[in-house]
Amino acid sequence: MLIKKSISIVFIICASTMYAQTCCSGGIPLSNNIGMSVEEKGTFQLSLNYDYNNLNTLNNGTEKLNDDSRLRITNSILFNISYAVTNRLSVEGLFTWVNQRRVISQFGNENLDQTSGIGDGLLLLKYNFKNGLGKNSNIELGLGAKIPFGSSTETNNQGITLNADLQPGSNAWDVVYFLSASKQANFRPSLTFSGRIIYRSTGTNNSYFENSSYKFGNEIQTFLGVSDQFSILKTLATPSISLKYRDAKQDEIDGFNLDNTGGNWLFIIPDFSINIKPNLVFSTRAELPLYSNVDGTQLTPTYRITTGFLFKIKPKSKLLNLR
Amino acid sequence: MKNYILLALLVLLTSCSTTSESVENSIPNEFSEWLIPINQILDGGPGKDGIPSIDNPQFTEAASVSFLADDDLVVGIIKGNETKAYPHVVLDWHEVVNDEIDGSFFTLNYCPLTGTAFAWESKTNNTRTTFGVSGLLYNANLILYDRNTDSNWSQLQLKCVNGELINDKPKLYNVVETNWKTWKALYPDSQVLNAQTGFSRNYGTSPYGDYATNNNRFIFRPEITNPALPNKERVYAIIDETKSKVYQFSDFTNGKIIKDSFEGKNYLIAGNNDIIYGFGLNNDQANLTFEYDFNDSESFFKDNEGNKWSIFGTAIEGPRTGESLESVKSVMSYWFAVAVFYPNPEIFSTQ
Repeated sequence: MLIKKSISIVFIICASTMYAQTCCSGGIPLSNNIGMSVEEKGTFQLSLNYDYNNLNTLNNGTEKLNDDSRLRITNSILFNISYAVTNRLSVEGLFTWVNQRRVISQFGNENLDQTSGIGDGLLLLKYNFKNGLGKNSNIELGLGAKIPFGSSTETNNQGITLNADLQPGSNAWDVVYFLSASKQANFRPSLTFSGRIIYRSTGTNNSYFENSSYKFGNEIQTFLGVSDQFSILKTLATPSISLKYRDAKQDEIDGFNLDNTGGNWLFIIPDFSINIKPNLVFSTRAELPLYSNVDGTQLTPTYRITTGFLFKIKPKSKLLNLR
Repeated sequence: MKNYILLALLVLLTSCSTTSESVENSIPNEFSEWLIPINQILDGGPGKDGIPSIDNPQFTEAASVSFLADDDLVVGIIKGNETKAYPHVVLDWHEVVNDEIDGSFFTLNYCPLTGTAFAWESKTNNTRTTFGVSGLLYNANLILYDRNTDSNWSQLQLKCVNGELINDKPKLYNVVETNWKTWKALYPDSQVLNAQTGFSRNYGTSPYGDYATNNNRFIFRPEITNPALPNKERVYAIIDETKSKVYQFSDFTNGKIIKDSFEGKNYLIAGNNDIIYGFGLNNDQANLTFEYDFNDSESFFKDNEGNKWSIFGTAIEGPRTGESLESVKSVMSYWFAVAVFYPNPEIFSTQ
């Protein structure tokens, strides 16, 4: 009951920030939010997260410009579902709902453009090489596709089509490559070191503004982290800290690089999760930029907060009848 | 205890998700009618005022300017005893300058994607206004909005295309576009818009990369293109209602003065490798014989009566001193832009 109530409350809270329109694909944190662990055969994992991404920093290369008049906010609801087909093979889906806002505060006015709706999704097939790095380790390899569920032709309230950056979908299929590894420390099994690389080879929207093509830049994200587990007030808590490096190539219009897109970034991600119940985990994390080097002049992330629940449904244990 | 932790976390979540609720639209334009096809109006990306106009322009004396190279383009204007130049390196980042010259308020507007600049009176409904960048584009060209009525104005169509002032046309001021070397030779006492704009930008670097010279590259593809000339060739276009005639720099190599006619009207076009500008000729002026006469001073051409004329078509020496040739609606532009706004433009040829 508590779980149902909690999930409902999160949904209501998130939905209350949205109006009737739609949002972008560039800002949906797809790569950030895939990679559920491969569990015992027959295990279902469900997670529901809310992601708030605030971009209010204008950079020219690595230089921060003194201008906070532009604000981009992406609110995303991310629903992951994973099923362990075998003890080594799992399939994971990520479905999104997004609201993206562009607010310009200039000359005493605030101008808002926003879209919201179903965003692109992602399907990932993963294989686990247990103990591939020795005892108590995992290596996972994955291959997937970003599926263009979201609309890429949303308009503003005057009926004018918004640009690719503000659309909820990309109208392009991407190929996603996934590699992760983790290892528990021998001296303290609850202490885990982990790494993850996700590469997205992006597809092309060939009907951008009806007569052009648009391709978001290929992107690689690398995570390195360490986590540990503690018991706090009889509750299992797992704090972790990660570094994320992201490199995005320039977007392309009709095959030509688009200025003021792409760059590379380094983030630090503190994360805290607690086991509310043995099969229910609540987690929240922040993502803060340590280094931003953008191509040309563009808005760059200021901070991101992601929070939500992970629910595991293990298969029922088979009872042995020894008679 | 777990329930309390959960509740606390939910409260935290609520505070995160309400941040963006305070933002509201400002001065909504409630007019849905557009004079241009709405499916051809595109969102440029930065949003309304995302490219900020310069409303408090600061100037430097031409003699003290060190931030411009000889081949940097500027847009120049003259009125009364004042001359002002607006460098592309600044305009690229702002597109609109709301300014005053010789007691008149005007808006200088420049679209980096079509290479077109105009200056027009900052007045709508007989009230002084300022213009801003709407963030919208029509055939890759700037749409401005006026801050009195929030009406939208198509720059290259020279018309209000949406809003309370729909169908209104701006009152144009004459501007020329040339390189810094030519402008400072013509008007060494000019004021030059400097980079003290109040905004932090990387002036001197184009935000559009090689767009100005790459003929195959569009960021916003126009509805039609015309292969008669390279898309990004800078041409001088005379505009007559819905028609246009264009002149190329190659027509004016080493300086030439061309008498021409278009749509039944007589024109005089003066130019060299770096600047082209045109005028209408009345019957009296049509009988004069003009000759190129630019020697790094204000005089650009002369006539058989001994008059010397400026590039803006004003007699600055001779018996007609003070007389002006008739202003015409014209603009320097990338070829593709003229060809899409004024389809099938006539191309001047000496053949």
